[in-house]
Amino acid sequence: MVKTPETLNSDLWVDRYGDMLYRYTLVRVKNPDAAEEIVQVTLLAALQSKGSFQGRSTEKSWLFGILKHKILDHFRELKNQRTYELTPDDDSDPLENAFHSDGHWVDAPKNWDTDPHKAVENKQLVDALALCMDRLSEKFRNIFVLKEIEGLASEEICKEMDIKPTNLWVILHRARNQLRKCLETHHWNVKK
Amino acid sequence: MAKFNTWMTRKLRITCEDTTPLISELMDHNLSLGKRLRLKFHLAMCTVCRFYKKQLEIIRALSRKLRGEEAPTQQKAVLSEQARTKIKDSLKQSN
Repeated sequence: MVKTPETLNSDLWVDRYGDMLYRYTLVRVKNPDAAEEIVQVTLLAALQSKGSFQGRSTEKSWLFGILKHKILDHFRELKNQRTYELTPDDDSDPLENAFHSDGHWVDAPKNWDTDPHKAVENKQLVDALALCMDRLSEKFRNIFVLKEIEGLASEEICKEMDIKPTNLWVILHRARNQLRKCLETHHWNVKK
Repeated sequence: MAKFNTWMTRKLRITCEDTTPLISELMDHNLSLGKRLRLKFHLAMCTVCRFYKKQLEIIRALSRKLRGEEAPTQQKAVLSEQARTKIKDSLKQSN
């Protein structure tokens, strides 16, 4: 049986894919208004380039392809407004007072009673990470998203976002430690 | 041999404070042989730093789970009515 080629039906885009595109964006972009805006920009861009759709992919994956570019554009905009380099205004190191002078932990990391394979099956835990990500500053959140969610190589992030490798490492290190603390408080709720 | 062991231990011993940046670094790229050995040596003895390493690995695994087009998250957030109307209107106008 020959599969009929996909066609585009822009009247139905918002109802069919609007929420899906929005949720995908919200994982990556902290501000809900900005996320709505990105969905709108994506669909408008799709409408304008309707002619280039060749029916090789589905309508949905074509739209997602455009969305991914628009999200990266949004990240680049932040680069132009303010730098991704570290400044004194940035969140300080969550590990700053984490060690005694002899190098031992003050507040030792707890045993999170799971492992990476099992953790991903725990929906509450996935939600908790999303919640904790929203507590990161926009700068830290964007860099964390590029590295861990988009899976970009460190070199690529440095190039795209104009950032020195050492600063990238410091931002990721701090972001991970903030997330770690947040998850420990909100998910494991471990008593001190 | 005992002398050699003491020498090795002195060479390889690092504190928890020195270990955490190495674990974070390991998440992003391969470590040099020296760093790798010191990390291994410390982790073999230190339960707490092993917990720390596992925590970072869990965070990484959870992030990957958020990657997909229909990731299970954001309590099923939906576009506001206002946004839907706005987007639909703008699409109509430029069609």
